[in-house]
Amino acid sequence: MSVTSEPDDRSTSDVNRTQEAILAAYAELIEELGTDDVSFRLIARRAGVGERTIFRNYATRVDLLLATAAWIERRIFPRQDSPSIFDMPLTIRAAMESYDHRPELAHVVAETTMRGIGGAAPSPRRAMLEEMIDAEISALGDAERRAIVAALAHLDSAATWVTFRREFGMTRSDIADAAAWAAEAVLDPIRSRVG
Amino acid sequence: MAEGVDTPTAILANAAAALRENPFDEISYRTLGDAVGVSERTVYRHFPTRSHLLEGVAGWIESTEFPLPPFVTILQFQEASRARFRAFDSSPAFAFVCARAASISPTGELEATFFTRALVAMLATNHPSVNERDLRRVAATLRYFASAQFWARMRTGFEMSAPEISDVFDRTVVQALSGLPTLSRTSR
Repeated sequence: MSVTSEPDDRSTSDVNRTQEAILAAYAELIEELGTDDVSFRLIARRAGVGERTIFRNYATRVDLLLATAAWIERRIFPRQDSPSIFDMPLTIRAAMESYDHRPELAHVVAETTMRGIGGAAPSPRRAMLEEMIDAEISALGDAERRAIVAALAHLDSAATWVTFRREFGMTRSDIADAAAWAAEAVLDPIRSRVG
Repeated sequence: MAEGVDTPTAILANAAAALRENPFDEISYRTLGDAVGVSERTVYRHFPTRSHLLEGVAGWIESTEFPLPPFVTILQFQEASRARFRAFDSSPAFAFVCARAASISPTGELEATFFTRALVAMLATNHPSVNERDLRRVAATLRYFASAQFWARMRTGFEMSAPEISDVFDRTVVQALSGLPTLSRTSR
């Protein structure tokens, strides 16, 4: 079966060309300067638009940061389509490697998803995971299904990379390996219950 | 300013109190300075960026609001984590700040928190024959699913409350530990 990987986060899917230029410019500047020291003037100059154009699209600094974080997750850290829920460990391994290549951006994505309902969507691929598990495992109790989807969604995120690196000092390959291993452990109970 | 409290601590206590009314991003350095009775410049001297302030406030909250109960067994670790999820549910604004602080680009050296060191020590004691690599993968998984970040994602992304969050946590802990050899197998 085929699974669509369109995230259900509306803010990322309908950016126009001007917004794309603004978000890309801000992402670039975050990598160069961090999130603290980037002025709207600097972003405007880099994007080749007027400062007022930025304000018209993103009224506040928080609005701009959240839109940029969603754009980063979609464009810089895209996921391959997984044909099966049992491919999630591979997807997660690849995601961890891509976060490790762009640490500043990975931190921005991780932090903005931890702000509650006012922040970026913390589990943009939840619906996709639910579709995948339903397609393969028909007889699954609600609590078990929800726990597996939630655990995989938690592992398939920038915060995994942040935590494994910060708390355990893991290298790129160690992080990718540990996250994929954890996903395999989560999938263990349903491995032979396909159908 | 309260007697016997140093300026940075007073700033952090005031910032935490302000979180009951305002989101972190709306707390200004000037208001903090006024509340503590120091200049805005003094606040900047102690917390040069908002990331420093966020880390400081989260540290203050962790130690005063969410102290970690001691644990020496897996079961105690699970109970300690469930108690924290309940505490997070009671003070969501505080818990989200802790989750954010654990996710930002660190302002200082990378350093494991006390929680992580306690967890690694507990696992090493309970599974003395397990190789370091497996032990670290288990520890990382347990630590990550016991975190404020896990609570935050479950609450916002899955609309779960502490008992439901604890259920996902418990199931994941069982799965992560099932890879470790039991004592009877290791004593072969």
